[in-house]
Amino acid sequence: MIIEIGHFALILAFVLSALQSVVPVWGAVTGDRRLMAVAPPVAGMMFLLVGIAFAALTQAYMVSDFSVVNVVENSHSAKPDLYKITGVWGNHEGSLLLWVLILVLFGALVAAFGRNIPMELKAATLGVQGWVTAAFLLFMLATSNPFLRASPAPIEGNDLNPILQDVGLAIHPPLLYVGYVGFSIVFSFAIAALILGRVDAAWARWVRPWTLLAWMFLTLGIAMGSYWAYYELGWGGYWFWDPVENASFMPWLAGTALLHSAIVMEKRGALKVWTVLLAILTFSLSLLGTFLVRSGVLTSVHAFATDPARGTFILGILVVFIGGSLALYAWRAPMLKQGGLFAPVSREGALVLNNLLLTVATAAVLIGTLYPLLLEVLTDEKISVGPPFFNLTFGPLMIPLLLAMPFGPFLAWKRGDLAAVGQRLYAVAGLALLAMLVTAWMEGAEKILAALGVGLAAWVICGAAAEILSRARFRDVGLSTGLARLAGLPGSAWGTALGHAGIGLTLLGIVAVSAFQEEKVLTIRPGESVEISHYSLAFAGLARRTGPNYVDDVGHFDIYRGGVKVAVADPAKRLYTARRMPTTEAGIVTFGLLSQVYVSIGEVHADGGADIRLYYKPLVTLIWIGCLVMSFGAVLSLFDRRLRVGAPKPAARKMVAAGQGAE
Amino acid sequence: MTRPPSPACGNWPANWAKAPERHKLVGSDGNGRSKMTRKQRRMTMIAAAGGVLAVAVALILVALNDQIVFFQSPSDIVGKQLPDGQRIRLGGLVEDGSVERGMNAEVRFAVTDTVESVNVVYVGLLPDLFREGQGVVAEGVMKGDGWFHADNVLAKHDENYMPKEVAEALKGKGVWQGED
Amino acid sequence: MTLWIAFSILTVLAALAVLVPLARSGRDEAAVAALHDAEVYKAQLAEVDRDLDRGLISPEAAQAARTEIARRLIAADREARQTGSQTGEAGKAAAVARLRLVQGLALALVPLGAVAAYLAFGSPDMPDQPLAARLEMPADGRSLPELVARVERHLADNPGDGRGWDVLAPVYMRMGRAEDAAAAYAAAIRLLGSDPRRETDRGEALVVANNGIVSAEARAAFERAVKLEAGAVKPRFFLALALTQEDRRDEAVAAWRALLADARGGEAWAEAARLELAKLGVETAETAAAPAAPGPSREQIEAASEMAESDRQEMIRSMVDGLDRRLAEDGGSMEDWMRLMRALDVLGERDRLREVIARAGEALKDDPAAVAGVRQLARELGEGS
Repeated sequence: MIIEIGHFALILAFVLSALQSVVPVWGAVTGDRRLMAVAPPVAGMMFLLVGIAFAALTQAYMVSDFSVVNVVENSHSAKPDLYKITGVWGNHEGSLLLWVLILVLFGALVAAFGRNIPMELKAATLGVQGWVTAAFLLFMLATSNPFLRASPAPIEGNDLNPILQDVGLAIHPPLLYVGYVGFSIVFSFAIAALILGRVDAAWARWVRPWTLLAWMFLTLGIAMGSYWAYYELGWGGYWFWDPVENASFMPWLAGTALLHSAIVMEKRGALKVWTVLLAILTFSLSLLGTFLVRSGVLTSVHAFATDPARGTFILGILVVFIGGSLALYAWRAPMLKQGGLFAPVSREGALVLNNLLLTVATAAVLIGTLYPLLLEVLTDEKISVGPPFFNLTFGPLMIPLLLAMPFGPFLAWKRGDLAAVGQRLYAVAGLALLAMLVTAWMEGAEKILAALGVGLAAWVICGAAAEILSRARFRDVGLSTGLARLAGLPGSAWGTALGHAGIGLTLLGIVAVSAFQEEKVLTIRPGESVEISHYSLAFAGLARRTGPNYVDDVGHFDIYRGGVKVAVADPAKRLYTARRMPTTEAGIVTFGLLSQVYVSIGEVHADGGADIRLYYKPLVTLIWIGCLVMSFGAVLSLFDRRLRVGAPKPAARKMVAAGQGAE
Repeated sequence: MTRPPSPACGNWPANWAKAPERHKLVGSDGNGRSKMTRKQRRMTMIAAAGGVLAVAVALILVALNDQIVFFQSPSDIVGKQLPDGQRIRLGGLVEDGSVERGMNAEVRFAVTDTVESVNVVYVGLLPDLFREGQGVVAEGVMKGDGWFHADNVLAKHDENYMPKEVAEALKGKGVWQGED
Repeated sequence: MTLWIAFSILTVLAALAVLVPLARSGRDEAAVAALHDAEVYKAQLAEVDRDLDRGLISPEAAQAARTEIARRLIAADREARQTGSQTGEAGKAAAVARLRLVQGLALALVPLGAVAAYLAFGSPDMPDQPLAARLEMPADGRSLPELVARVERHLADNPGDGRGWDVLAPVYMRMGRAEDAAAAYAAAIRLLGSDPRRETDRGEALVVANNGIVSAEARAAFERAVKLEAGAVKPRFFLALALTQEDRRDEAVAAWRALLADARGGEAWAEAARLELAKLGVETAETAAAPAAPGPSREQIEAASEMAESDRQEMIRSMVDGLDRRLAEDGGSMEDWMRLMRALDVLGERDRLREVIARAGEALKDDPAAVAGVRQLARELGEGS
């Protein structure tokens, strides 16, 4: 009965979303308040209904109800409870349900907390959100219904794809979806603004926090997925420029641009039209990502749904939403009023440069992702565009962005003085140069690129620190007042600094791993030892271990440093019995929080020996720590609830003294 | 005025130019440097955007020329002289009985499309689902010694999934009967 | 019934979400959007003052911010005055028409649309079927898979129960789950020790799981079985098949010949062996007439494995008959009797199984421990008395 209630609730939600698509928008266009008033309660009701559906499906997974086809195909009674729950979204139908749940959740949040949004804007926004909801619910009911039943019910399920039975991957999709779908609200706001023909001051206020929220989750989701690939796939790689990774990376890049243009719009009222376009593009890229993953058009480690009917349907959604919103933009954007004006060298100008580089980089990633598909459709030639392409295109675009990054927060609004800012960055440049020289001296001249990379990372990190320190003005006000000022700095200032520092940390991790990691591939027998970096690994042998739904062949390594045992690593070959599918469980040991020794087992030999792949990865965890720092910056910025406005500096010479207080 | 070609980057300078109250603000640059007119500002922005775009387009074209890897089946490359050092992705089935394991994770096997087969040598750990008779994609270089030196080997990722190129190449040869 | 009550409640709630806000009268005049902007700007001005009081910004910066906000505020004010609300009589009539239409839509579309779509997709008659509840149902009329699930559950809790694995393995074989059967036999061998039957059956399971190819692992199992029981036919049959598959023609021919030398005549496996020989191009007396079709080795392998599979049951049967005859003639150990019982169980010959249990009790009556063992097994096989 519970399952059928869930099914009915989902259908009811679809009917409501159809009403929501029409009624409030109609009210907003005709100025009919009663029709507009329908939007918030219906948004809440849709959330309730989809929530019931999601709870019902989760319940079916929990009790292993194999009368539900979706449960049979993706669960197993012996699976640990955690993976029964995460199995709900470890498959096509369930992940769509989660997608829609988050979509209606955002609608309900706008309905609940958007009291100070003008009524027309709120109604139109929720109406647009209703279009997206209706499209995806129709897609689900027509091609991917998770509530279809099996009769007679099988006694056992097929199990979740073992590669997905992992804590990291369990929380990766929800984070990613909150990110993807969070941009839907910004998109709905943008489309609503186009429909109403005006960008309200409130619109400007609302875009940044919602973008921040979505961006924060997307950052965490991408980092989680990257770490998952790192330890689960057993190759020791953290980023493959795989199309599915790109599918989440493109909205992130566009979202980062949006985040920065929203600042200009919020504080200075400029770049409104551009921000509307970015909002549309960001969500369009999220939809494209959903399409690439869900339609199975890609050859990719993530492809777990392949069905041409679904692909066509979701391609239709994609074309209608992206094409429709861009057409609406072309038609209505000229009617939107422009805001403030600024000089090329100014905070706004820096943010524009950021937007320019980020959007062009997004375009490069987009081309690299779609070109193989297009070429295959057009010429039947099959190619793969791998890391070399992206390193050559994306990399060089990031360098000016990172070089310019420390300048941005120091520049004044409206018109800035580049030379003055340059003077203030002398110390930072000195530190960066020092880092570069030390690296070159320690690692030798042949690692010159690595030294440059370390220098760039130091430049970005120290630049962020310098910005915070200069706001505290220790030199002028003394230590205690300076600290007080530091504590009293607005959250958004900390957010900027942490966001930029996080990028620097991630860059440092990437440079260190690419340039200084050590790798060995060898056959090892019990009793033998192998050296890597400062560590020596003694192989004790393989032992069999039985888990709830798998069997492990665990290799035991004792790790010594200078003759002292410092850690153990237990990599394993795992066989999931229901699907007879092997996976590799890497053994990873972290030293000093930052560097890792990474062992994975390949072929096991008859004499008890094993082929192993062994890495020493210096500073590797910085890659993900940087992402955490960025996300934390976003949290701080998000809780900065003050109304914000940016003003030009009163007089250029007094710039330092006046500080950036008005932010 | 010429707009930059890409819609993604072409809007703000044009729209910015429409700002209504600009005259009062222009020229109040307090640094005593030469004052910029509205037109100069616009040109600066357009030049910056155009410069970035030109660099990006050049990079993408160069990368697409040099850095992409073509997918080939054994029949495509047997008997043909490939340019020295050209990377390709070789796809097919691992030939039954062809896998030989050497020391220190060196492995030799043959990739076949049932018409021709190519000998592959690879040092490293094979993917979990690498098996004889199953689909595989090896990325690397064909060397003068007649061996394909792979530096990356991908296998199909679950029971129902075969690398897409492999499935299609084999379908072309009439071997693979996947459900479609 | 409860189901439809739940549906009704949800439907009513959904309809109310639309109807209640519609029913409220439009309390105030349509607000002019620009006034909202003015509200936002006024709030911003107050915020700047508060920041200044808390010392967060300098007076100069505050003044600059105020100027900026004031500029925007004035612009918003001007715009608000230009646009006014223009609701005339005609507008009111249109509003009423819109209201009625939307109310009608909500009343009709919500219940009708939802129920129609549900009847198309849903299964209102199907109850929930949580696995735990299904397994607790009484044993009568349970399907084989359910019984297997129950044993699997037992074994998941007691993985050290070797007998359980030994019982489950042949059942897996019968269900076509050869890989599971091989794993179960492996567990039984690990826990109960190696014996020719288990090794042979495990090897066979591996062969079936491997589409009829005798892998190195299977081959090792058969070799162990032969070492333990030199004359055993089945492992030798598969070893000969392995030689055939490896194209070691001379050795294969020798192996098949040796196997056929033990044939009493009429056994199914002997027939299969002769066929294999024929394919290798060796004519035996019986197959002289049969045409040998030369072909590529892959086809041979496939044919051979198919043959092996279709004849498997027959082969077991012939072995059972042989064992039965031997036990009837010169008695045998408890293990022999138990092997026969298990084989009959796998073949599903219940009557004969009961008869054999009785005969075993008679033959082993001098050995109480053996009788107890047989009784125990009989109970496990569902023939307890």
